[in-house]
Amino acid sequence: MPETEGPAPRTEANAELVALLNATWFAADLPPQAQVRLASLARRYQASAGTTLLAEGQLANELGIVLSGRVSLRTLVPETGWITILTVEPGDVFGWSALVPPYRSTSTVVALQPVDVLALDGPGLRAALAADHDLAAALYPRVLQALARRLTATRLQMLDLFAR
Amino acid sequence: MTNVTKSAIGFLPRAGFQHLIELLAEDGRTVIGPTVADGAIVYGEIHHVADLPQGIGAEQAPGHYRLVHHADERFFAYAVGPTSWKRFVFPPTLALGESRRDDHGHVSFGPAPREIPRLAFLGVRACELAALGIEDRVFLGGPYTDEDYRARRANTLIVAVQCAEPAATCFCTSMGTGPGIRSGHDIALIELDEGFIVTAGTPAGSAIVTRLDLAEATAEQLTAGADQLAAARDRIGDPVVTAGLHDRLLAKLESPRWAQIAERCLACTNCTAACPTCFCTSVSQRSDLDGHTATTERRWDSCFTKGFAAVALGGNFRPRVQDRYRQWLTHKFATWIDQFGTSGCVGCGRCITWCPVGIDVREELNVIAPPPQVSAGPAEAAQPHAPRSSVFRVEGVRRETHDTVTLALSTPDGIDWSTARGEFVMVSLPAVGAVPISISRRLPRGLELTIRAVGPTTTVLTGLERGAEVGLSAPLGHGWPVAAAQEHDVVIVGGGMGLAPLRPIVDEILAARSRYGDVHIYYGARTPSDVLYTEELAAWAARDDLEVGVTVDRADATWLGRVGVVTHLFDRARWDGTKALAFVCGPERMIQATVNALAGRGLTPDRIFISMERHMECGVGLCGHCQVGPFFVCKDGPVFSLAQLGDVFGREGI
Repeated sequence: MPETEGPAPRTEANAELVALLNATWFAADLPPQAQVRLASLARRYQASAGTTLLAEGQLANELGIVLSGRVSLRTLVPETGWITILTVEPGDVFGWSALVPPYRSTSTVVALQPVDVLALDGPGLRAALAADHDLAAALYPRVLQALARRLTATRLQMLDLFAR
Repeated sequence: MTNVTKSAIGFLPRAGFQHLIELLAEDGRTVIGPTVADGAIVYGEIHHVADLPQGIGAEQAPGHYRLVHHADERFFAYAVGPTSWKRFVFPPTLALGESRRDDHGHVSFGPAPREIPRLAFLGVRACELAALGIEDRVFLGGPYTDEDYRARRANTLIVAVQCAEPAATCFCTSMGTGPGIRSGHDIALIELDEGFIVTAGTPAGSAIVTRLDLAEATAEQLTAGADQLAAARDRIGDPVVTAGLHDRLLAKLESPRWAQIAERCLACTNCTAACPTCFCTSVSQRSDLDGHTATTERRWDSCFTKGFAAVALGGNFRPRVQDRYRQWLTHKFATWIDQFGTSGCVGCGRCITWCPVGIDVREELNVIAPPPQVSAGPAEAAQPHAPRSSVFRVEGVRRETHDTVTLALSTPDGIDWSTARGEFVMVSLPAVGAVPISISRRLPRGLELTIRAVGPTTTVLTGLERGAEVGLSAPLGHGWPVAAAQEHDVVIVGGGMGLAPLRPIVDEILAARSRYGDVHIYYGARTPSDVLYTEELAAWAARDDLEVGVTVDRADATWLGRVGVVTHLFDRARWDGTKALAFVCGPERMIQATVNALAGRGLTPDRIFISMERHMECGVGLCGHCQVGPFFVCKDGPVFSLAQLGDVFGREGI
């Protein structure tokens, strides 16, 4: 559940969230204003192992940053079952669909361990990025980096190099 | 020119030539020389001058060869034909050894019975002397020597005949090998219309020459001999500019011409079969029907065959004809120099004449690497030693995955293998085959091999039980420079079966843990069930002085570990790679991705060591299969630093 709601979060809470953001590669070293802005859109939550955080096809309302624990990105293959395509480790993001139309998740996200997550409100983040170009200029390269890393990894996995 | 004193020069009238043949035979030698067969001048047994191609020559051009009749009576008025002397010192097929496995599974390995004939080569040209000189460097000049070749060479007397009738395909002048005879002969002849100017090059040659009924060679005869040599040289010209050819050619690995040649090239292997220096071979076992006895046989092979660079399960490093043509041409004219200190080409023109589509290497070299000097630092060395199989016993079998087992093997001869360097062994079973396998652990009296069933031989090996016997060569190749990593941080990255050859590194580090800095071990497997050494990985991970990361490419919902590529295990890590050494093994494409990620962590190419997978057969750099640019992976590798490999790493079709 959200720890903060409304437009004016408490300063001390914000400072804690900024510190958490700074400990992730995704948001570390962003300009201070950008981190404060992100913290104002963030809520922190914990989930136990086995919890489905987001289901494939569902509206992705939040961009999640894993603070600790491991989550899996899965997809259901009929007659085969759930296949884990990728695990997301601390510092990395899931739910990037919250930034890209049609804002629907491309995989099912399940916690493999107890997880601690910082979640950025999707609609709020989109509005902030559209209004604040400095924020957009700082954040989008990180998003691209995260997705590009994932894309190149997926290509290698697709090659099934260890099959022979 | 050979240092032969003038007094050793005599003249043998044509009518006396039969006497030379008889003296060679009396010396206990089978005389091999030119004779006409199947519409060509080939090398065969010569008993009498009538066997020689008297008055016969050959018209040659790219893809063209026709016998022609001369008006004179000369025996040697032709340019070289389709055969070369190679086949007599390096036979097209050769039994290397015999192995047996009895009903109780006991195996034994022994040499094949061998008879080395005593031969005399009659009519060897300057280019062919050069070719024999090149083969001497290949087979006798490196760390491993071919004892069969040595014996055949030592048992051969060479009667050279100076070339007077070069063909339109000749270019010995460019390659610096002819047409004049310089060295390598026991006896040298210059044929004139009325007979032969004779000189001896060695004491063995002299022993024959002194028994000939020689007249003194006249000044006119000597002048005539010199004139015909000069005329031959003029006719050949200098069609290939060899100065700087090595660098020019290697700078054109991406030339569009390779693909254009491939449109004509049939990959028929004629050029390599006709070439007097091509030495690639393959080894196979020929079994008797009950599977108890097998003969290990070596036969000529060619880098033009489709499967020449293929590895287990269908991977092929040179699938296209353009890859194979490039391999052949760049080896012959460039990387051969890196390997053996001499060009592999003598300019005899056989590959041009006998190419069915008339591909002319002279033209191709000039187009691909249009026109500086070929280096020739001799690669001297000699530890006479060829790998032989010792019998090892299977002491334990551990199943790693559904298709992979680890065999613990002990040597009965008490040799301490724990210190044996070398990265891999050739494992052989009589009547089954032989395969190269990386050492996955060194034991005081043996070793462990982790083997995956990917072909017929490995399928049998993975089915062996405790007590079974196998043949192992001595450890071959260059391994990981683990000692160089002392006082440094170490990053070990393995993919799939690639963890097996990395395991001895971990063993070595753990045996002296305090000598190393931080140690990171990262391993990627296909699925959770394909993970090797699960218990050891867990034990390593439990230590506080090792960082261990394991990931898989795909998993079902029961796997709670990481899923993703191996580079994700460290590309966001906090360690500083500028002080580290990395050891990487896995499929080549995975190594490429890993190398890029390591570079991103600050590791320079001289600190990244990788193990290359290639088709390895002989294990000592003499069969040609595993060549990568200037290296034979089996002998020069399989472990290389990235800096050492340079731009041959990751290049298509090399």
